[in-house]
Amino acid sequence: MLSKKTTLIVIVLLAVLALIAAQCGSATPQTVTVVETVTVIETVEVVKEVEGKTVTVVETVEVVKEVEKEVVVTATPEPKEKVVLRYADKAADLGTMDPHFAAATNDRNLADMIFNGLLRYKPGDGSEIEPDLAEAMPEQEIVDGKQVWTFHLRRGVLCHPSDEVPAYELTSEDVVYSLQKSANPDRSAYAGEYDGMTVEAVDPYTVKITLDNPISPVLFFPKVSDYAGGFIVCKKAIEAMGDEGFKTHPVGTGPFMFESYSAQDKVMLTANENYFRGRPQLDGVEYRYMPELNSRELGLLSGELDVINGAAEGVWVERMNQKEGIRVDVYGVGEVATIHFNTSVEPLDNKLVRQAIAYALDRDEFLALFGEPVAANVYSQVPAQFLAGGLTKKEVDDLGLEYALDRDKAKALLAEAGYPDGFSLKMISSERESYLKNYQSMQAQLAEVGIDIEIEVVDHSSMHKLIRQDVNPIVIYVAWRPNADVYLTRFYHADSIVVTATKPDTNFSHYTGIDDLIEAARIELDADKQVEMWKQAQIQLLDEMISYPLQYQNQVTARNINVDFGHELKSVLALYPQITENTRITK
Amino acid sequence: MSQIQAQSPVVHPVRLRSQRQRMWHTFLSNRPAIVGLVLVIIVILAAVFADNWFIALPRGEDPTPLITTFDPLKQDARNRLAEPDAEHIMGLDSYGRDTWARILYGARVSLAVGLGSVLLGGVLGTFVGTLAGYIGGKTENIIMRAVDVLMAFPSLIMGLMVLAVLGAGLSKMILAIGIVLSPTFARVAHGATLTIKENDFVNAAIAVGANRMRILRVHILPNILGELIVLGSIWTATAIRVEANLSFIGLGVSPPTPAWGSMIRDGTQHLGYAPWVSIFPGVAILITVLGFNLLGDGLRDVLDPRLQQ
Amino acid sequence: MLRIKYLATRLVLAIPTFLAVLTLVFFVIRVIPGDPATAALGDYASKEAVEAMRERMGLNAPLYVQYFKFLGDLLQGDLGKSLITGKSINEQVKEVLPYTLELTLSAVLVGAVIGIPTGIYTAVKRNSPADYLGRVLSLAGLSVPAFYLGILIMLLFALKLDLFPAVGGGDLTDWKDNLSHLFLPSLTLGLIMTASVTRLTRSAMLNVLQEDYVRTARSKGLEERVTILRHALRAALVPIVSIIGIWTANLIADSVLTETVFARPGLGKMLVGAILQRDYTALQSVMVVYTGFIVIVNLATDLLYSIVDPRISH
Repeated sequence: MLSKKTTLIVIVLLAVLALIAAQCGSATPQTVTVVETVTVIETVEVVKEVEGKTVTVVETVEVVKEVEKEVVVTATPEPKEKVVLRYADKAADLGTMDPHFAAATNDRNLADMIFNGLLRYKPGDGSEIEPDLAEAMPEQEIVDGKQVWTFHLRRGVLCHPSDEVPAYELTSEDVVYSLQKSANPDRSAYAGEYDGMTVEAVDPYTVKITLDNPISPVLFFPKVSDYAGGFIVCKKAIEAMGDEGFKTHPVGTGPFMFESYSAQDKVMLTANENYFRGRPQLDGVEYRYMPELNSRELGLLSGELDVINGAAEGVWVERMNQKEGIRVDVYGVGEVATIHFNTSVEPLDNKLVRQAIAYALDRDEFLALFGEPVAANVYSQVPAQFLAGGLTKKEVDDLGLEYALDRDKAKALLAEAGYPDGFSLKMISSERESYLKNYQSMQAQLAEVGIDIEIEVVDHSSMHKLIRQDVNPIVIYVAWRPNADVYLTRFYHADSIVVTATKPDTNFSHYTGIDDLIEAARIELDADKQVEMWKQAQIQLLDEMISYPLQYQNQVTARNINVDFGHELKSVLALYPQITENTRITK
Repeated sequence: MSQIQAQSPVVHPVRLRSQRQRMWHTFLSNRPAIVGLVLVIIVILAAVFADNWFIALPRGEDPTPLITTFDPLKQDARNRLAEPDAEHIMGLDSYGRDTWARILYGARVSLAVGLGSVLLGGVLGTFVGTLAGYIGGKTENIIMRAVDVLMAFPSLIMGLMVLAVLGAGLSKMILAIGIVLSPTFARVAHGATLTIKENDFVNAAIAVGANRMRILRVHILPNILGELIVLGSIWTATAIRVEANLSFIGLGVSPPTPAWGSMIRDGTQHLGYAPWVSIFPGVAILITVLGFNLLGDGLRDVLDPRLQQ
Repeated sequence: MLRIKYLATRLVLAIPTFLAVLTLVFFVIRVIPGDPATAALGDYASKEAVEAMRERMGLNAPLYVQYFKFLGDLLQGDLGKSLITGKSINEQVKEVLPYTLELTLSAVLVGAVIGIPTGIYTAVKRNSPADYLGRVLSLAGLSVPAFYLGILIMLLFALKLDLFPAVGGGDLTDWKDNLSHLFLPSLTLGLIMTASVTRLTRSAMLNVLQEDYVRTARSKGLEERVTILRHALRAALVPIVSIIGIWTANLIADSVLTETVFARPGLGKMLVGAILQRDYTALQSVMVVYTGFIVIVNLATDLLYSIVDPRISH
């Protein structure tokens, strides 16, 4: 029969094709020690004779060195196999590489590898700030009622070379330019943070920052650290290629340099040979965009990837940790999920209704959806686990503001408020698990006391737009903010009310009751008093049940056991494991 | 006119009792078709008897589950992803809901999506396609180019755009998938009409000046119906799958409504340690798709005039 | 001669199709809630920053100005820049197109090469156990969502058997690497298509096998193989070509899921990404490319009709 033959031929053909393809697929990796010549720039003291006098001059010279290296090579060895860290992120694509617009975690991650700040959060530990491009922590003084901070820059820090501009030394000119860019709303998403700030170059290595209104170091340092607007860009490069060009070809001073970007696929970075903290141990980073969890997981397990974003699931963490050669890191900072009630609409304008909802909710039920150690309950708007100014469970308990589960009480409160049969609400949720899980759990829990919630799922970008148009009577928001002031200002200050305020932001509850406390705390220079005011503000929020804090969700990354980040992951402010000059792949 | 028609050699499919019997016989002798029919009936029964919603309930009373004792919406997060056991025969999902109960209720949603959108797209598309193929000339060009415009949108993109504009929800999902499917039906109907049109009996009918709509209805439609029914039964499966695909992108039916596609998507996240969450809805889809397609094949055999001779 | 004239007419007729698609996309994407400025800046951005971004993106200009600027640029062969990343879309398409074409073609190949013979075989051996098996298997292929099938295939071939790499598109300049990365995605996509092709082929063959001339040929004692090949298959080719044409066009879209699961670059992923990110220019421009592709596929399908069945004239 014809068809039998054809089928046979097809099967044979496919088998051959499979074999050919399989042949080129796998190759055994081997470790080989190679000696490599590298050119290093070193600072040396040279004794010279200038006009008859003998002087000691500090010069940078190029030194050729032989370095022994362990390199992983595959069956077809190339003379120099590069050690490139393959990182898979859950984002679908790059947003921007201009650090002053970088908002998504994956964009910040890239910015962190390419750029430096004047100061930096210690890698792996966001609770400590140390000098980065600055030689030392800045001194502050008060001049004419204004606060002046003076930074002395490190010498010999080189900007990455690009097609337009060769490598050059970073000076105060670049720092001033960069901070001014950050302050310009047309050129930065963080301009608001730099209101009332003047930046001047005193000399090529000294920068003076003047603040119209003095603030505490806790609030000032983040603005000039390696986060958001604090990243320092290289002036000549950005001027040569323009802001638009810079977005796809960033030039900074960091341990890694931009090499290429292919849309929805990957960004390639190469080691900065001249990095001021020493040449990175990795030869490069391949930063891949892989939104599907299963693909990242399989890629890691099959050895095609080294580090991946994991699932925010306790079960997942446990299971992956059991796999040979895989380690999962779970670390802070945790993003806080909070339920915000719109106090300007019926029936949520009634305090009794809001309190009824709070009593109807069971934090542990929400928590179970994420599981230990990925998430943990929070009891106040500012997470006490990470930031000064938060309230612990005990503090809240002592004040009688824990709102522990009590559905009978909830029903009684609803009846007292005039809703004995409950009511219905309609709202939207993002498709992301961190939102959807909380919305769906709330839906099921409130159904128990007769509150009927209808949820429409929209994509993440639509959700952000719609909740800012006030479509949700109840908004669940998951976010990390660098300090208590930012949390309270952006979510509860009158100026931040969505739609109606002068600077609409994320005050979804339309609450105006703690403006004075927020403002007073902001300019309070005594740290203890400042914390006390922040706590007071939250006690008021809880008492009136303006919002119900749920849980913080930790970051989860899984890696091949051979990957050593070069630092312990305690709490990373920008939500990713930093890849630095010390990160390496051992064998 | 009537005189000419009487003389025409056109074969009219005369509806005789004996023919109907023959059709019934053809169907009954087709074992796969019977299997298909049984499967479809099972799925429909599951959908209908998931709870007593079909009985008019007193005001304010919620329907209670009939086949299962579990509420498909009731969550138990602390026991989420529990393995199948005697109590929960298909285990619990990622919110701690009973998978078996959700599959029963999911039958309603998936049947509505599968049948509703195919019916919508099929009727719309077939009408346009046959009309264009039959009329020919400029009208055909214009219609088919319009179909091209719609075809230019990949099914998922089209579905995505319609849903993004209308907002999510079951009825909108049916509408979206129906619109997505219609150009495909139009094209196939168009192609088939072109072939049939060249047949002698159609030419003869045209030659004797028979009414256009009548030619369409009597000569062309029955002849391409077999193919369209097969296509329809395939697209029922596709529609159910598109629902799954849309939920992969995050735009499935609104929670907590159980739909098989969304359930598979949900389970995919936990494939490594709780495979039952995605496998059981997958089996449900397979049974439904199998049922509809085998039934479709059987119907095709019955409806195809040439097979009856 | 006639065919050339027909081709020319069709190409001219494709222009309004193009315009209609572009106009539709241009306006529909702007109706969808959400905007690229918010998507680009993320949730931390202030309203002023979003407004400044909108201005820079040119979204505050009147709609008709934006529309004609888009058409004008298009006429000069400029697809513009992504609103989000600022990368040139011409460049992006150039990078992505080879991956899309190789995946589509190989999947169609898998689908046709497995699907058509299976369809013929099951039609000829109607109601035999082989027929039942073939039908159930092809239906199983139809009921599995692409992302699920992809993950299962990846689990089996990349992890358990370790035959092929699991993720990535491979290096285009290294054909071995490229081919090994292509295998699993095209198998996934091809299997889904196979189901459809098998069923359609079987159905079309059954139709034709009942035709008088085939019966006559058979009764005349012509060898079975000749009958099937020369007469039956030839007549059945029209619907088969039609379904393959439709699938070729559709595969690009279905490939979105395959591309996502296997983390391959591709046109489909670009389209979905553009919609989710509200990247207006990217969506418009990728639709231009995609529509061009569809026009060509449709044209080829129609031409094939008249080749396989000379009775259909144009």
